[in-house]
Parts: sequence; C-alpha cells; structure tokens
Amino acid sequence: MIPIEYFLTLGAILFGLGLFGVLSRRSAILILMAVELMLAGVSINFIAFASYLDTDAFSGLIFALFVITVAAAEVGLALGIVLRLFRERRTSNVDEASDMRW
Amino acid sequence: MLKRIPLPAQFDRIIIGGGITVGAIGVPLGIVLVTLVAFGVISAPEMVFFVAAIIVILGALGCVLLPNIVHAALSLTATLIGVAALYLLLMSEFLALVQVLVYGGGVVLLLLFGLMMTNAQDDPVVTDGSQKPFAFLLVSLLIGTFITLLLSGDWGNPTAHVVPFELFGERLFREFALPIIIVAVLLDVAITGALVNVHTASNDLPEESE
Amino acid sequence: MPDISVTIGMQQAWLLPAMPVVAFLIISFFRKLLPREGDFLAIIGMLGILLVTLFIIVDFQGFFHDGEFHPGEANVYAFDWVRISADNFLFLIEFSTYIDAISIVMLIAISIVGLMVAIYSTGYMQGEDRYGWYFAVLSLFVAAMLLLVTSGSLVWMYLAWEGVGLASYLLIGHYWERQSAAEAAKKAFITTRVGDVGLLIGIILLWKATGSFDIQTIIAAATSGQIGETYLTVAMLALFAGAVGKSAQFPLHVWLPDAMEGPTPASALIHAATMVVAGVYLIARFSPVYEVVLVARDVILYTGLLTAFLAASMGLVASDIKRVLAFSTISQLGFMFVALGVGAVGAAMFHVLTHAFFKALLFLGSGSVIHATGRQEVEYLGGLRHKQPITAATFIIGSLALAGIPIFAGFWSKDEILHAVSSYASPFVYIVLAGTALLTAIYTTRLVLLTFFGDPRDRSAFDHAHESPSSMTLPLLLLGLLATVSGFFVFDAVGNLFGFSGGIGYLVYLHHPHSFHIDWAFASVATVSSLTGVIIGWVYWHGGAERAIKARTWSPDLHALLVNRYYLDELYQGIINRVVLGLAGIVAWFDKKIVNETGVDGGAQFIGYFGYRLKFLQTGKIPNYALGIAAGILVLSVMVLARA
Repeated sequence: MIPIEYFLTLGAILFGLGLFGVLSRRSAILILMAVELMLAGVSINFIAFASYLDTDAFSGLIFALFVITVAAAEVGLALGIVLRLFRERRTSNVDEASDMRW
Repeated sequence: MLKRIPLPAQFDRIIIGGGITVGAIGVPLGIVLVTLVAFGVISAPEMVFFVAAIIVILGALGCVLLPNIVHAALSLTATLIGVAALYLLLMSEFLALVQVLVYGGGVVLLLLFGLMMTNAQDDPVVTDGSQKPFAFLLVSLLIGTFITLLLSGDWGNPTAHVVPFELFGERLFREFALPIIIVAVLLDVAITGALVNVHTASNDLPEESE
Repeated sequence: MPDISVTIGMQQAWLLPAMPVVAFLIISFFRKLLPREGDFLAIIGMLGILLVTLFIIVDFQGFFHDGEFHPGEANVYAFDWVRISADNFLFLIEFSTYIDAISIVMLIAISIVGLMVAIYSTGYMQGEDRYGWYFAVLSLFVAAMLLLVTSGSLVWMYLAWEGVGLASYLLIGHYWERQSAAEAAKKAFITTRVGDVGLLIGIILLWKATGSFDIQTIIAAATSGQIGETYLTVAMLALFAGAVGKSAQFPLHVWLPDAMEGPTPASALIHAATMVVAGVYLIARFSPVYEVVLVARDVILYTGLLTAFLAASMGLVASDIKRVLAFSTISQLGFMFVALGVGAVGAAMFHVLTHAFFKALLFLGSGSVIHATGRQEVEYLGGLRHKQPITAATFIIGSLALAGIPIFAGFWSKDEILHAVSSYASPFVYIVLAGTALLTAIYTTRLVLLTFFGDPRDRSAFDHAHESPSSMTLPLLLLGLLATVSGFFVFDAVGNLFGFSGGIGYLVYLHHPHSFHIDWAFASVATVSSLTGVIIGWVYWHGGAERAIKARTWSPDLHALLVNRYYLDELYQGIINRVVLGLAGIVAWFDKKIVNETGVDGGAQFIGYFGYRLKFLQTGKIPNYALGIAAGILVLSVMVLARA
C-alpha cells in the first residue's frame, strides 16, 4: 500500500508550484491556471485524508467536490473580469492594472 | 532533420521537442520503475503513483515555467489528468471522473477560450514578473516547511477505504443536500455575475455600440 | 375641598416642576406645529401650578396640630437616584420633596407672578422672533425654580439652582443678535457661577460631615452639634457664597443691572420676583443652622447692609428705567439678607412675598412703557400718565409699595425688617438701613416723576405711545391689587382668615412664632422717613428737574462715581484682564506650543512622514500583495513548525 506521506508531499509540492506561478506570472490567465494548481494540491490532501484517516471516508470527499465546483465558478467569474480588463485596457497584464495605489 | 519528417505543418516544434524531452526523461524513468517493480522493491500501485506523480510535477513545472501561454495550458491539462489518476489511486472513482470532466474538460477549455478572447494568440509569450527570485525563495522555504511538518507527523499506517458510488450519491443528496443547494446557488450567482460583468463592459465601449 | 385635597396635596408636590417641564418639552419640540407657537401651553402650565399650590396650602394646614407644625410628614421620599453602597459606605442621592412654610411663600410668589408674567408676555412678545422659544424657556425656568424650592435633597436643589441659572442665561441673551445682550448673558452666567462654586463646595463639605444630602438630616446634624464649629462656619459661608452670586449681593451684584438686556417680563419674573430670591430661600432654609454659626450670620447681615446701601445710591442716578429697578432689586435683596442676618426669617420671607408682587408690577409697568415708547432712558420719557393711565396708576402703586408708604405691601414688610433690626442688631445697622429706606423713597419718586409726570422730553416717542393691550394691563391691575393688599397678611386676623393663626409669623417662622404687633411709634417714624424721601424726590425732580441738574453740577465726582457704579465693573474687568487673562495666556501658550505643536502636531507630522514613506508599499500590483500574503503563510507555518 502507498504510504499517506507520498500523497501529502505531492500535494504540498503541487501547492507550492502553484503559489510560485501565482507570484511570478504576469498574465492574468496564467495566474488563474496557477490557482488551479494550488486547488488541485489541496484537493489531493483532502482526498488522501478522507481515504486514509477518516473511517467514514466522506467529509474530505465532499470538500474536494466542493473545491472543484467552486473552482469552476471562480474560473468563470475571474475570466469575466479578465475579459473586462482586457476590453478596457487592451491587456491582460495584471501589473498594468495598478491604479489602486498611493 | 525535423523539417523532413512528414508531420502537419502547424505542429509546433516545441511540442515535438517537448514530446522528445518527455520521452527522453519518461522512458528511462519507466524502465527504472518497471525494474524496481520486477525486483519487488516497490509495489505496482506505488509504481503507478510515481508515474502519476512525475506527470503531475512535470506538468506543474511546465505550467508555471513555460513562456508560451498555450503550452502552459496544455501542461496544466497533463497535470490535472495526473491528479485524476491519483484520485483513482485513492479509490475515489467518482471524484476522478469529476476531475477529468470538470477540469480537464470544462476549466481548461474555458481558460483556452479566455486566451482566445484576449489577444494572447497574437503574442502568447509573456515575460514573468520581476519578483520571480523572491517568489522562488519563498516558495522553496514554504514547500520545505510543509514537507518537514508532514514528515514529522505520526500518521500511523493507515490504509485507504473505498467509497461505493451508490453510498456516495445517497449520502451526498441526503445529508449534504443543503450545501449542494448552496453551491448550486453559488454557481448561479457566479455565472450571472460573469455575464453581467462582460455585458456591461460591451455597453461601455463606444466602438461596439455602433 | 377636602375630597380633592386627598388626591392632590403635599404628597404630589412633584407635580409642580413636572407640569412646566412637560410644557417646555412640548413647546421646544413642536412649537412650529402648534398654534401661537404653543404659548397657551406655558399659561396652562402656570395655571396648573397655581391650582396645585392652592391645594398644597390647603393640605399644609392639615399638618398643624395644636398650633404646632409637624414637617416630617411632609417630607416625601420619592426614589433613590444614585445608590452606591459598599462596606460601611453609602453614597445615596435621593429625590424627595420637602414643603414647609418657607417653600409655600416661594410657591405663592412663583405661581402668581409666573402666571401674570406668562399672560403679560403674550402681549409684550407679540410678533417677536423666537416667540415660542421664549415661552419654552420661561416654562423651563419655572420648572427649575419650583424644583429648587420643593426639593428635599441638596443635589437636586443644586441641579435646579443651575437650571434657573441656565434659563436666566437664555432669557437675558434672548436678543442675542445684540452684542450687549450676548455679553450681559455671559456676564450673568459667569458671575453667578463664581458663587455657585461656593455653593457646590458647601454642599460637598456638608455631605462629608454628615454623609447625607438630605437637607433636614443635615440641619438636624448641624444643630445638634455633630459638626465642628469652624468647619460648619466655613460650610455655611460657602453656601452663602452661592446665595451672594444668585441674589446679586455685593461683591457679585454686577451682573443684575446688565441682565436687564433680556425681555422685560422675563426680568420681572427672574430678576425681580423669583430667581434672585433663591439665595434668600437658601439661607432661610438653613436658618436653624445659621442660628448656631453666628459669625456667618454677621457676614450675611453686613453683606446685606452694604449691598442695600450701595445699590440704593446707584439707583439714584441710573438713567435706564429698568436699571433703576434692577438696583432697587439688589437693594431690596440686601434688606432681606439683613433680616436673615438678624435671624428674622419671617420678616425676610414676608419681604420676599411683597417684593415679588410690587417689583414684578414695577417691571411689568416699565415693560409697558418700553413697549409703548420704544425708549427706556428716563431722560427721554415724561408725561406718560396722559397716554398710559392704567400703567401709570399701577406703576405708582408699585412705587408707593417700594417706597414704604403705609397700607401698601412694602410698608409692612420693610417695617417688619426694620423692627427686627432695631431689636436684634446695633443702632448703626438700623440707622444705615433706615437711611437706605429713605434713599429708596427718593429714587422711586424720581423714577415716577421722570417717567409719568412733567413734559415729554422725546416728542416723537411720546406721540407714538399708547396704552398697552388688555393682555398686559390685566396682570398689571391684578398685581397692583396684590401689591396693595398682600401686606395685610401680617395681621393676625387676616392670617386666621387664611387658616394660619398668627399671621405671617406663624406661616413662616416656625421656631419662634410671634404675633405681629404694630408699634405705632416705630411705624410712624418709618412713615415720616418715607414721606420725607418722597418729598425730597419731588423737590428735586418735579417739572424740569432743575434742582437735580444743579445737584449734579454741585459734585460731579460723586455723580460720576455713582453713575459708574463705584467703578466696580471696571475693577473686575481690570482683574480679569490682568490676572485671569494673564494666567490664561500662559496656559494658552503651553497648550499651543507644548501640547498642540509639539504633542499633537508633532505626532501627526511624525506619522505623516512615515505614512508618506510607507505608502509606496502600496504598489497597486496584485502579485506584490500576493507575495505579502504568501510571506504571512510562511511565517505562520514556521510558527506551527516551531511549536511541533
């Protein structure tokens, strides 16, 4: 049987890579993709815990399901915003949308 | 030499190069894994896990490192499918299916459409932000901390359970009916919000109102 | 009557302040919606007060048993207002009402004069700006005044004391568009506050000594010798300082002449009949204690004497008709304090009553004159008896009462005071006081002659003049009647008629009731002195007042001294300019340089500088913010790691 640490380590790495993407990318769409990576890492953790530790093996699954659903909603909404930004500014570079500063 | 290979012209060189790279890394790794299984060092599920994990990590690296947005999106798809494989290993067939359907199908498609709607297809290469070194340092520390944390934990030696489809559906729609409805409402609101957002944007633009 | 008095009596004394408070609230909030801006509510409130006062008087007689008064039953405990109790410690402020003869005299004066003034004001204030507000404040004043005289607790009394001060301030400054009115209001408020601080100190001292704010408890403790004599003397003098401020006694008398900037009916009610006698009431209320501390009593006596004389001499030369009356009020208040100083509380309260009627009458009469002519300097008046017969007649009645001509009210009460002084104090006091009474007759005659007799000196004002409307003359007539007859209350027979055996002495001075017996020799001396004063006044000021002008040139320095009120106002102003403003300048410098520029501004500039530097952290770029969040997560997870 696969030890649970494998899954957890993979989840952590996936989360970290996603975070790296969020922090280093400039394109709004790429940032969204990186967010998806982070969510996937978290989902792996949830399901690993649910399968291994929870005898009922259920709450974590529900959580993962909701994460997927909310992520879908989030992508839809965020893409709307990105589209709007692009129409207003002819760019999807988040660094150029920096009016809310000093 | 590549130009002589009779492939469709629109096939990107980098895709071909990437495939060669993956093959170059994947085949030796596969051979090593199979050898390990054959000699009983690791079990078959562990071999599957490693394969999936390599796909996932390589895909994720590609997603966050590749300069071309379309390539990044494609490697994201690879990652998500690898994650679905992991779900299968965790004995959650339902979630694996949902993952493939929603992510691999819906979300990635949506992202690609987003790329298409913006002018990313004209110039899909974007430079990364100037804080990339800081991000790298911070993320390395974070991953290190996480892994140290989880390895220092005493997890015992648990085994995975299987949740049958019937039971899952039954409990989902009995005990978790209210959260399901709330999520449904959330989706509704999100879609409406996205629609309204984009729609008013089009009204604001003088060249589209002509 | 008995059936009603069961339901309304001394137990319901809280109704007295409650009714005008309700009127005040309704008028001040809804005066724009009410017809006539709600003045009728004030009058209804006053009528209710008069009615309740009558019931209380009827009830009050029931507390006489065999000629003895048992006030304990009249002390109504209502509720605990503040109650802090710990081991061996109880801080209790209770609301209670206490009615005795002294309160009743005040109630009669307040209710009757209040009603008259309210009715009069509907005519006098007709068409003025803030008409409704005037009536609201008038109701507020009456409420505070009634609370003052019915409260059984010193704290509530102090509250009401400040309340009447507030109402006085508002009414003096009623025409605040006029600079002089605004400054007079300020002056009145600040000057009386000087005394009020004394009153507060006195209250605190008494509370510290007895642990109670209940007036009767304090009196009982003080008279039984539980408090050290020096301590008690200081406390009682502090109380008297409050009375000095409120009753405009020397040296805090300077505010009352300026207070005449307010509407005349308000002056009649507040600055002649009721509020200024609050000090007299306070001392009379504590009279059993002043029996013990004779030093304080002597201070009261000589303060009153000095004030009476100074004010009368200043009234001799004042040109403003209302200011003459104001000086006369100060002088008469001095008379009352002299009476208190010799322990003749009955005489003092009797003078409070008669003075309330005839001085209110005089003020309302002067208001009628001012209303008709628009002038209030006597140099520009004259001959008005042809134009304003009712005003002139009632004004003359009030003047006769003030001058002390027999059968009019002032004669009896002043005679009582002089009588008490001659029995209990040194001849010097008597002679000065009698001389002051003579001066009173002189300036009163002068005022009447210059206003209503002789030739009009300002022809346009005279031609413009007319008799006032009936809403103003009716109160004048009623008060004229009272100014004539209220003195008869001194006779036993009249007292019996109203249910008080032994007349005013029994009504007021419970501890040593004495029947009034007129000393004809004494009274005739007083009468002759008053008549002499009237004759002197007539000689000097009749016709064109040639002799008076000649007298002025005879000693211009003395005249200037009197006109400038002994330069006391200038002296105070000088003290304020040098000492108070000097200190204030130092404090202001400290506040400006140290507190404000270094402390407040310096801190703000410090923060502002760092804010200017740190604002560049707000780049507006989302990845920067995300980096911050991630760093936070890292710190949190390292903390978890460190703990694990």
